[in-house]
Amino acid sequence: MIIELNLNGKQVAWEISPGDRLLDALRMDQGAVSVKRGCESGDCGSCCVLLNGEPVNTCVVPAVKASGQEITTLEGLAEDELMKKLQSSFLDSGAVQCGYCTPGMLIAIWARLNTGGTLTEQDVRHALSGNLCRCTGYAKPVEAILKVWEDKS
Amino acid sequence: MRNISQWFNPESPQEAAQMMRDTKGKGCYLAGGTDLLLENRTDFEFAVDLSATGLNEIARTETGDLFIGSCATLHDLETSPLTHEFADGAIAFAAAGCGNRPVRSTATVGGNLCNALPSADMVPVLLALDAVVFFTDGESQESVPLSEFFVGPRKTVLDGSLLIGLAISGQYANWKVISRKLTRTVEDISLVQVAVGLEIESDTILRGSVAMGAVAPTPMRATEAEVLLIDLPLADAPVAFASVADLTAATCSPIDDHRATAQYRTEMVEVLTRRLLCEVAGIEDVKKYRGEK
Amino acid sequence: MSTGCNVPKIDGDKLVRGLPAFVDDITPAGLLYAKILRSPHAHARIISVDITKAMALEGVVDVIWHKDVKQIPHTRAGQSYPEPSPYDYTVMPTKARFVGDRVAVVLAESLRIAEDALELIDVEYEVLPAVTDFTQSLDSDVLIHEEPDPRGISKGGESNLAAMIDVHLGDVDKALETCDVVVSRVYHLPRVQAAHVEPHISIAWIDEDNRLIVRTSTQVPFHLRRMLSTVLEMPESKIRVIKPRVGGGFGDKQELVCEDLVSVLAIRTGKPVRIEFTREEEFVAARLRHRQRISMTTGAMKDGTLVANRMKVLADTGAYGSHALTVQANTGQKTLPLYPMENIHYHVDSVYTNNPISGAFRGYGAPQGFFALECQIDEVAKELGMDRLELRKKNHINPGEDDPISAHLNEGKPGMARRMNSCALAECIASGADEIGWNNKQEPTHPRFKRGIGVGLAMQGSGIAGVDWGAATVKLNDDCSVNLFVGATDIGQGSDTVLSQMCADELGIDYEKIVILSSDTDLTPFDVGAYASSTTYVSGGAVVKAATKLREQLAEVLAAKWDVPAEEIIFADNKAECGDHSMTMTEVANFAFYEAKIQPMATASFTSDDSPAPFAAQFADVEVDTETGQVFVRKFVSSCDFGKIIHPLMAEGQVDGAVAQGLGYALCEELHIDDEGRVLNPHFLDYKIYTALDMPEMKIIFHETNEPSHKYGVKAAGEVVIDGPAPAVVNAITDAIGKRSYTIPATPERIWKLIKETS
Repeated sequence: MIIELNLNGKQVAWEISPGDRLLDALRMDQGAVSVKRGCESGDCGSCCVLLNGEPVNTCVVPAVKASGQEITTLEGLAEDELMKKLQSSFLDSGAVQCGYCTPGMLIAIWARLNTGGTLTEQDVRHALSGNLCRCTGYAKPVEAILKVWEDKS
Repeated sequence: MRNISQWFNPESPQEAAQMMRDTKGKGCYLAGGTDLLLENRTDFEFAVDLSATGLNEIARTETGDLFIGSCATLHDLETSPLTHEFADGAIAFAAAGCGNRPVRSTATVGGNLCNALPSADMVPVLLALDAVVFFTDGESQESVPLSEFFVGPRKTVLDGSLLIGLAISGQYANWKVISRKLTRTVEDISLVQVAVGLEIESDTILRGSVAMGAVAPTPMRATEAEVLLIDLPLADAPVAFASVADLTAATCSPIDDHRATAQYRTEMVEVLTRRLLCEVAGIEDVKKYRGEK
Repeated sequence: MSTGCNVPKIDGDKLVRGLPAFVDDITPAGLLYAKILRSPHAHARIISVDITKAMALEGVVDVIWHKDVKQIPHTRAGQSYPEPSPYDYTVMPTKARFVGDRVAVVLAESLRIAEDALELIDVEYEVLPAVTDFTQSLDSDVLIHEEPDPRGISKGGESNLAAMIDVHLGDVDKALETCDVVVSRVYHLPRVQAAHVEPHISIAWIDEDNRLIVRTSTQVPFHLRRMLSTVLEMPESKIRVIKPRVGGGFGDKQELVCEDLVSVLAIRTGKPVRIEFTREEEFVAARLRHRQRISMTTGAMKDGTLVANRMKVLADTGAYGSHALTVQANTGQKTLPLYPMENIHYHVDSVYTNNPISGAFRGYGAPQGFFALECQIDEVAKELGMDRLELRKKNHINPGEDDPISAHLNEGKPGMARRMNSCALAECIASGADEIGWNNKQEPTHPRFKRGIGVGLAMQGSGIAGVDWGAATVKLNDDCSVNLFVGATDIGQGSDTVLSQMCADELGIDYEKIVILSSDTDLTPFDVGAYASSTTYVSGGAVVKAATKLREQLAEVLAAKWDVPAEEIIFADNKAECGDHSMTMTEVANFAFYEAKIQPMATASFTSDDSPAPFAAQFADVEVDTETGQVFVRKFVSSCDFGKIIHPLMAEGQVDGAVAQGLGYALCEELHIDDEGRVLNPHFLDYKIYTALDMPEMKIIFHETNEPSHKYGVKAAGEVVIDGPAPAVVNAITDAIGKRSYTIPATPERIWKLIKETS
């Protein structure tokens, strides 16, 4: 079947199988390689993208469900000012080790920062709790995010 | 999931239920899809997508009842002002404790209920609030109390019918309710979950409810123990709560598995029940820490 | 100088932007997908495999099983030749030895077709009795490996003993008789999994020159090339292994995991082939930290002098013996020097079972050993009536002292003697104790909590002495940029950055001038790979030597031009200078290319008979909920001696990550396997690793020492800090509740049971 959706600001349509995961449809069919495969059970957050602005784990979203919706991957936020700040703060803070979970983490926290409101360290940890990282122990990612937040406010 | 060859998009609950009947057991309802993809089941050929059925509503009726559509996401429940202002926000709190943030964006309350795991995270709080569930077979609509909805692990009364949603009577709006999971890490399957609710008027508990998850084939209420909460003066509560907790623990029938033993689960039901009752009633938990303070 | 500074991570930009960098990010045209049919039985002969129906499925390209592949015994452990692991694997075994062992492999045009085809394969098994209880394995009639081991390490064909070690120093029995205090306990360590977020993934194809190209997520590209050459019976010249970015390894990728299968299928079909593990396969069929039972006895004199230690390790290597000898050798080799004693008896039985396979995982046996040792030291202190820290201070190894055990441990090669030429352990203990409030314990935050603090000391190594080596090639370009080629494998830990820093400093140029390539067996020189905490020390040593040689080449050119002695030319701050002569390095490069007409380029190798030990003193402050047994780590302090720090942020990152894994080991991680050998929790929903919400307040302190055996004074950081968390936490729990768990993880239920016994 054909799905048609807005991917990173562009209207695209392509053929999928009804049982496909959104992860495979984005990564394998559309070449959105920032969407990483880590667990296929919704636990690790490496495949996190924005579905109509909300973070979702694409490994537990049927591809069909994205039809007619707006999907944003890290590729689609390449020119976004907040994302660029987050990315450079991650680099400056030593928040990237292997980098495999990084795109998912960036998407999850970008979504959280865009909801506005205040942001405590605990809020950051809650926002990242769906992103498993085995390298950093989360300390430096949390630091990196708080730095962006402090600069912003 | 990978064997699904056809995808239906019904526009009403009735149409959805009828489509399901037509699939003759080879179809599945699909709300968020989280559990279906998680389990990667291969026994379904047809997906009946509920996206367009309008079941994602959360509303208060004129009589003050809270209605939650089965396709409301856990994130909806977590953030809706309607859940926050109802029963101390206990439903919002329970929703926030399900899975992780991205999963809550798509996972639905209906999915959590229909998957019918003994440890389903949303159930104890809804049980404690006497939720009633509504479902349709495409022709007529039925309702049962949530306490009668589950018939075993992964089994409900639905039999192909579609869960429309659930309602909680407005009389519970001012109840004080708390649920808590005992877990190995912060985000985990419950080893034990307990929810308690109390209706308190000045210095008396008028009545209360206690519900449990992960300690029996289905989530359950501690009905016997709840009797002790009727017309209970707050002054007597510390002693009574200890009895309620003991009786609640005596009612459950957990299993041993690699996460915990039945014995531990049983004792934790006692601990959580007592703690939550004291927290809800705003009194100090006097019975325990075994005389250390 | 860039060393000592937090320069930008050299591969960081592409990673934060999610650009194609990992194996799976580039898809060759016409890629085929392979899936492995795994044994449902813990032990069963694979009599026959009927592939007819599977082959008939449209889109299926190939199906192989053991009759299609020659039985060549080898090990999949990624170690230096000759590997000190039994040769007990074949590519496709004729007998399944654990639930999840390879039975057949399907190759298809899509992953889905491959999955469908798996269900169409009929296998005839002769189910055999299985042994899954590792404490029963040596007494069992079930023989898991019926063939003798060509390496002579295991007792294949005779018993289930995969490897054995027995070392006696002094006379433990006699010494114990004279001791005032003797403590003897048994410790139980769980199976845990590395859980790198990128699964194992390999893609192989045959190129236009008829060579096999394997692009794979590995820590050991050069070992892989050699091992593939053996199992494929193909000259190494025909094989090229490419390691792009790797999404974490932690030892689990120090192993041939699916590279042999993608290679076999690519050769058979001539097409590009991909295998990626699912998360379930990671838990079932990748590698685990060895489950161990450690029986330890320590004897001490009244004044606190430790005089004797007996450590007996029983380890479950699972169905195959990857690292069966060496991990367990390391359990003793890393722990026993911490408190040098004259009388040591170290014994290991590493046994086969019909369980999933154990292997390398960060710490490599040391986390098990330190749990036993550091818990035992606390108990010895208690028996002596001494402060736990005082006993440690009295006995721990100091600068200039000798490691008593390393020279006597044979890991396939005789061991090397080791002296501590740099050691700031005393400083680490002092600052860590101060930071945690050793003499100023915090009150519990709630009456139902009890609070305690605990310590775990640890030491590790920097590479394997006399075995590990690496090489680097440095090539100057005419604009003064420098290509640095290393076989060392950056797997996320940041070695590309650290090696580039050392290279830049050695050449006296800016870090930004370095362009690094790691690792490609066609393009970069050899390196054993990323393991044993070796890269900064060993591979770094090679980079420094190569850069020195390059500098000497330039000095020669300039010496001729300036008519000065070459050794008097100074290279620093992007300049070459000697007396009144001065040129920028860009001018030097230009001169070398267009006047002297030479390509300045050098290759150098580095190895060391020493493996200088990094040290750590790690402290935990915990609260225990006395009703539920839940343990909450409030603060965790790591005070470390890694030698000189090249990149402070990255060094801290190594601590952060290791502590997160170590706390999981202490409190929640455990792979559960039932009596039939089935994994009960092969997914993150039920195998709990720490999230951002679980981490305590972290404090990291560095005490820099200048390790004399390395020009930059470095030692290692990657592993030592995973050793302390488990004993520190359990010692803290004991401090809180007065009862000790000899088993980890210290789950709520285990602690609850202890508390119940108390009251």
